[in-house]
Amino acid sequence: MKKRLTRRDFVIQAAITGVSFSSLPAVLAACGQGTATPSSSKPSKLVIAAVQGNEDGPLKKVAPAYKDQTGITIEIVEFPYDQLFEKLVTTFQANGSSYDLCMMDDPWMPKFGTLGALQPLDSFGFTRDSDIPAVVYDVGTWPPPHGPVPPSEQGKSQHLYGITIVGNVEMFMYRSDKSGAPKTWDEVLSNAAKYNAASFYGYVIRGKATNPVSSDSLPILWSFGGNIFDDNWKVQLDSSDSITAVDFLTRKLKKYAEPGPENTDAADRSRLMAIGQAYQSTVWPGEITGIVQDPTVSQVIGKVAYIPMPQGPSGKGLGMMGNWLLGIPKGSKNGAAAADFIKWMLKTDNMRNYVAQGGIPIRKSILNDASLTSANPYFPALAQSFDAVPNWRPRTDQWNAVETVYGTQMNKAVAGLATPKDAMTAAADQIRTLMKNAGYPS
Amino acid sequence: MRAGRPRRSRQERLAYLILLPALGTVFVIVTIPFILAVVQSITAEDGSLVGLRNYARALGNPLLYDALRATGLYALIVLPSEVLLGLAFALFVHRTVRRPALRATLYVLAILPLVVPPVAVGVVARLIYAPGYGVLNVILMSLGITHQEIQWLGRPVLAMLSVASVDIWQWTPFVYLVLFAGLQTVPHESVEAAQVDGANWWTQFRHIELYYLRPLFLLIFFFRVADVLRVFDHIFILTGGGPGTTTQLLSLYMYRTEFKFFDMGQAAALAVVVLISISVVYSLITRALPLERA
Repeated sequence: MKKRLTRRDFVIQAAITGVSFSSLPAVLAACGQGTATPSSSKPSKLVIAAVQGNEDGPLKKVAPAYKDQTGITIEIVEFPYDQLFEKLVTTFQANGSSYDLCMMDDPWMPKFGTLGALQPLDSFGFTRDSDIPAVVYDVGTWPPPHGPVPPSEQGKSQHLYGITIVGNVEMFMYRSDKSGAPKTWDEVLSNAAKYNAASFYGYVIRGKATNPVSSDSLPILWSFGGNIFDDNWKVQLDSSDSITAVDFLTRKLKKYAEPGPENTDAADRSRLMAIGQAYQSTVWPGEITGIVQDPTVSQVIGKVAYIPMPQGPSGKGLGMMGNWLLGIPKGSKNGAAAADFIKWMLKTDNMRNYVAQGGIPIRKSILNDASLTSANPYFPALAQSFDAVPNWRPRTDQWNAVETVYGTQMNKAVAGLATPKDAMTAAADQIRTLMKNAGYPS
Repeated sequence: MRAGRPRRSRQERLAYLILLPALGTVFVIVTIPFILAVVQSITAEDGSLVGLRNYARALGNPLLYDALRATGLYALIVLPSEVLLGLAFALFVHRTVRRPALRATLYVLAILPLVVPPVAVGVVARLIYAPGYGVLNVILMSLGITHQEIQWLGRPVLAMLSVASVDIWQWTPFVYLVLFAGLQTVPHESVEAAQVDGANWWTQFRHIELYYLRPLFLLIFFFRVADVLRVFDHIFILTGGGPGTTTQLLSLYMYRTEFKFFDMGQAAALAVVVLISISVVYSLITRALPLERA
């Protein structure tokens, strides 16, 4: 006799089906294939995959002008930061043709370069412009023109794959109404102690796990002579210089930091500065335009100054590149038209209009234009930061994994759950294993 | 009579025919990706077969056990809390609220947390717990309960309790709705007879209502365990898995393995292991517990 479906059977089936759905995100990435055929005709629109936020806001505002001049509509599809990266990787792996252009954070270039996911811009007639810092071209070039090159990429010819449209370099901000500019990290520490008071924090640490604390701490790490890798991909996080740098941030500066630095992100930090409750911190230009210098939310306009990163014991003050680039996916059928759009964005007049809409420029002539300084007080510091040649994050396709490991252990150190030495030893061990598995020298 | 497989009746064939679209859909969106996941779990990035190496790497990674510990702790906090609170609320409403309009209002209120997107819940929760401007600290300090900020998201135990509290807020209503519906199936005659015999509220619950609710507890357990394995959004927004890896639950760990480390073989191996493990556990539980009503 056949067994009828009991309630128990139903429950089992329902549960198994439900759990099966939970595995979908991990497995759907395996699906999808596609190829693109270049088109010589002028497209009616170009689709840009962009990051949602301060970074793509000005791009959205200038895009209609491009249609007015060329008849080509610019459609901007926005994603939050993490989702944009995932979307682009899965699109590139499928050689999808959904996007004609993509915004890319500069640490993503190694992944996309290694994947061979982008069309070389030099084939569309891009040449270096002396009004644009050389490092801007370098950061869009793959394999990297200096520093260590991943083993799989050594010997490959270099091509330009991306052009910066958001000239982000991490800088330093402080309350200029209270003191002069700190020249060294020791002065940062002494100022933090001097100005720290009830509900006024001497220093703000952006210590949230993974990317935030990684971005916040790397300039200090470098300025102290520490590093993640040396020029041969040997992990340096457990070196004495690296541990000293982490100790400086997570113990010495933390004494004067805001409550809960292990959970502070960029918006929290800028908010503390904007409402007049913090003395100093590192800062990205996007935070300056979006919060600290925004008259609708800021109480400190005219009281905050921006400078390149202070110097550390190594004698260097190294800012960090965080450029957002535009690149053309290999799957795009409209490569030539997409390249024309990038050239249009780079034109001086168009970049001035872009700046008027809140954009962060890369042309030296604009950054050094005194008439723009009052509205953009960080421009001179940004120009100096470019001149000083900021560091970029290690050019490896494993960067996201490295950053996750480093940023998790740094977060532990900021939270006081691990000593600087223990945190960096753990990070170094995990990164060594990771890099060895990825074919790098162990 | 011929031996072998009995012929299906016309009614049975019709039943299978009607089920075909649903089963076909399940096959396409569940079975095919599962097969792809299994294939991915035994291949390297270049497509070559690597046997069980990805499984060995996945199971040998100490971060997996951190994630499992965090997931287990999270489940131990949220599941009993949600079941007890949901049950208490269901019993309270069942026994004390008689007006249909009020019951309908409570029904709608209970639905609301379930339909709010988890991302929105996470953002609101961050406004409550965040350092510096969190509403909870402001209230506690204004009432004089504490004079300095409590780091809800910065201390391991408090961070776990904070992210768990969000889950409890969002999913206790689900438990309430299921159990309340179950209580409506309890025969009035049985309850009235027990009351005539002098049964108090506990005896009434223990010997009558619980009997009708037992299969629903299992249903709730299955759904909630599956949800705990998937929980992601509000933890990602509130703590990002921190401090350290304290609140990095299995789903966040798998996400990072797949989309940060781009170690697709290991991520697929993890997905397969989790799916098989949980299916076995579910199966054992359903066989071990006497859940059918007589």
